[in-house]
Amino acid sequence: MLTMHNVKKIFRTDLVETHALRDFNLQVDEGDFVAVTGPSGSGKTTFLNIAGLLETFEGGTYELDGKNVSNLSDKQRSQLRNEKIGFIFQSFNLIPDLDLFDNVDVPLRYRGFNSAERKKRIENSLELVGLANRMKHLPSQLSGGQQQRVAIARALAGSPRFLLADEPTGNLDTKMALSVMELLKEINDTGTTIVMVTHDQDLAKQAKRNIYVRDGQVSELSEVVSLEHAANA
Amino acid sequence: MNINKWEIGPIFRALMRNKVGAVLIAIQIAVTMTIIVNSIFIIIERSKLMQRESGIDDANSFYITNTGFGDEFDSKATTIADLELIRNTPGVIDAVQINAIPNSGSGWSMSFQTEPGENKEDQGAAIYMVDEHATKALDIEVIAGEDFTPSDVRWRENGTRDWPDTVLITKVLAESLFPDTPWQEAVGKTMYISQTEPMIIKGIVDKIQAPWVGWSDLEHSVLTPEITQFSSTRYFIRTQAGERDRLMPEIEEALASANKQRIIRGLRSVEETRERSYRGDAAMIKILSTTMVILTIVTALGIVGLASFSVNRRKKQIGTRRALGASQSAIVRYFMLENFLISSVGVIIGAVLTIGLNMVLVNVFSLPSLDWYFVPAGMLVLWLVGQIAVFGPAKKAANIPPALATRTV
Ligand SMILES: Nc1ncnc2c1ncn2[C@@H]1O[C@H](COP(=O)(O)OP(=O)(O)OP(=O)(O)O)[C@@H](O)[C@H]1O
Ligand SMILES: [Mg+2]
Repeated sequence: MLTMHNVKKIFRTDLVETHALRDFNLQVDEGDFVAVTGPSGSGKTTFLNIAGLLETFEGGTYELDGKNVSNLSDKQRSQLRNEKIGFIFQSFNLIPDLDLFDNVDVPLRYRGFNSAERKKRIENSLELVGLANRMKHLPSQLSGGQQQRVAIARALAGSPRFLLADEPTGNLDTKMALSVMELLKEINDTGTTIVMVTHDQDLAKQAKRNIYVRDGQVSELSEVVSLEHAANA
Repeated sequence: MNINKWEIGPIFRALMRNKVGAVLIAIQIAVTMTIIVNSIFIIIERSKLMQRESGIDDANSFYITNTGFGDEFDSKATTIADLELIRNTPGVIDAVQINAIPNSGSGWSMSFQTEPGENKEDQGAAIYMVDEHATKALDIEVIAGEDFTPSDVRWRENGTRDWPDTVLITKVLAESLFPDTPWQEAVGKTMYISQTEPMIIKGIVDKIQAPWVGWSDLEHSVLTPEITQFSSTRYFIRTQAGERDRLMPEIEEALASANKQRIIRGLRSVEETRERSYRGDAAMIKILSTTMVILTIVTALGIVGLASFSVNRRKKQIGTRRALGASQSAIVRYFMLENFLISSVGVIIGAVLTIGLNMVLVNVFSLPSLDWYFVPAGMLVLWLVGQIAVFGPAKKAANIPPALATRTV
């Protein structure tokens, strides 16, 4: 599904060069649910951005769904993001001036679906996250947990193969975080591959697989964690 | 092009939830359109007036005033000598003594009627007192009937009350006096000056405008065959092409030295005279044009400002849209469409205001009413101004990196 080989990412400013990813190697299989943990600044978001084609990288190769995506144009990358990838953000990133219906509609418009198709998909995905009855509400009228559910509905509406989440529960209390996690697991059960960055070890443990990022690399420790996870299970 | 990708509905709904800036810009667009369209209309109307031809050879003509003083001054002899001198100067086509200059702002006018007596319908017309050299000197043409001959011409003294028996009139005056017959048939007919004094129309000339450019009957003119014997007279001189500027000082000099019993003054070209008469209109055009340009720039800057502000305010949203699959062109399209919607409201209000202002101008300043196509043309221009103004900020928005979605909180 996703294969990164020796991927490098360097951020250059006038003063410093930051090696955000150094020889980053990872393979994620179809249908997996991977939780990514690691210290702050270790490169988790950078990895997710590259995986989601939001950022380019300097070296190595990246294959998404069997296709080398290292040298795509901005337009091609936008299109791939739209078709194959769903994003969930820590701060939800709903568009404040649009109601829930229009928010979920955003990626479907870029896809070029006709209005009947969009309506069906919006209703289905809001139904899935339990907010179908609040379609005309604005994001500001919802709780954080509900907002994140809308964001998930928006990420899912285009039926992506691949869901990327950067600390999706980071702004939620434990109870809401758990319910979002339950939702993600349900989604994963239907076959959508999920990669989720989190600081919450307990949530990470609920994923099928754990990896640990340190200093821009997938650390050996990841094996230990997932072994522990397997043993505890 | 896939119309499903056009976010007209969401853009409109988002605008409705965030109206203030958009409404202000729409109003600005409406006001700008109102002023621009009406200004352009006025400018075009004024230019049309300014472009009306005087009927005489503006470019190659000038005039000069001769004012005698002292008891020794013999007006009649002076005029004969002066005209002879001028007409024989190489480069001069012809010259004529005349009492007033077309388009100059001052002259004589009289009323003319086709039946004698009081309370008859009459037409005002400018009077030009000239001799048989007039048609050549003024560059006008007798298009029906006959030109003056030397025997038609008489001397007019100070205090003379009556008028010559024959006259030439302009075609437009002939049409006004005899609306029911073809203008050619005015030749030989009698018209009355001072209500009862008859004049026979000897011929019709093509065109010579009256002195007053703001007058609605600008082409009503009558040529009377007489040379004035006043203490102050004026010579109108037509030169060959390109000779005017050389001859103006030369003739002034020659006249001044030929006779010391008078003052030669008021040397001026017909071109300059015309320019002076239309100076107010020219100034009005300049002011309106400047206002239009400034207003358009201010409106365009307002649009740029609002768009830049909203791009900055929506950076994260734009990053998010990019992350969700918006291409750069989709972001540009978003802002262009948003501007188009705002402009549309603006130009629709603008169309109403434009027509409203024109109606006020028609009533208060008796301006003609706007031709219909000015309104859609104005709408189109302001739509275009908006699209051009918003393009820069839209481009900037499209360059916001998609990673902004995950990098900002
Ligand atoms: N746009 C940027 N310009 C310069 N340096 C950057 C940029 N984005 C990230 N970095 C640097 O790259 C490194 C990796 O950052 P990244 O955001 O991937 O870390 P992270 O693991 O997601 O951290 P956190 O857990 O705090 O979110 C950090 O040192 C960070 O400062
Ligand atoms: Mg991060």
